Amino acid sequence: MIDYLDGDLPVWQKFMCWLHVKACRECAYFIQQYRRTIALGQDAFDSPDDAVPVSVPEDLIEAAIAHRKAKN
Amino acid sequence: MVTAPSAVNDACGSELAGTADSQRAINNEAELLECLRAGDESCYEVLVRRLGPKVLATAKRYLRSEADAADCFQDTFLAVFESINKFEQRSSLSTWIRGITINQCLMRIRKQARRQEQSIEHMLPIFDEHGDRIEAASPRQTSEISRSLDTQQMRGIVREMIGRLPDDYRLVLLLRDIDGYTTKETAAILGININAVKTRLHRARSALKYLLEPALEHAI
Repeated sequence: MIDYLDGDLPVWQKFMCWLHVKACRECAYFIQQYRRTIALGQDAFDSPDDAVPVSVPEDLIEAAIAHRKAKN
Repeated sequence: MVTAPSAVNDACGSELAGTADSQRAINNEAELLECLRAGDESCYEVLVRRLGPKVLATAKRYLRSEADAADCFQDTFLAVFESINKFEQRSSLSTWIRGITINQCLMRIRKQARRQEQSIEHMLPIFDEHGDRIEAASPRQTSEISRSLDTQQMRGIVREMIGRLPDDYRLVLLLRDIDGYTTKETAAILGININAVKTRLHRARSALKYLLEPALEHAI
């Protein structure tokens, strides 16, 4: 499945899979839902609504700077 | 932090744009890099403030607790400053730092990992001898979802379900599908072979698909 979706199958094998998916409604539906799952996962962490980045608490920033100075 | 736009080198992200605030004016990645390599403390603060949000977002994605994400945040920037002279500029500074963040997260997860292998079987659909799916009791939400879900709600559910996956599978999913590493890169990062990456990725996606099915029925 991974190789098929990534386009990493040998040409003839890719063609056979494609042919089967064209003819088999259940497999076509499965792949559609599988692809939808991947897209949902990607969208969950990277959407236009996340354009405003996670705000970092000021005390965390200061702690990181202090941590660096302490190490030095 | 909202920054005013200024002339920015195409090679760097908008998060490195200069500002007119009290921080030293750093106009592009090249200047920031030069400043960091010179050991300028004020530039370290610029780096932390500019790239901090993305570092924290990445840490929260991989680690399960806020406290761990905060610790990872500090360790990441310390590692960045200590190894800045080794940065070969094969990628942008933010991409390089993202890689360091992920490595710090993985180191923390490995320290915390239980010795026994984590099972994902209970999150996968069960099939009978004819290949038909059996609807057995599962950890999926069902009765809780009784209303239509908008996009934001759906994202929240997806994140929660990804969070439920065992670490061995969740990390592969995050690296491949979310952070865009190739199968080969993911294998190298996790120290496993390519076939193991493919197997875990497929099982992680299958489990996620199964976990999301009740929610997808209500999605707008």
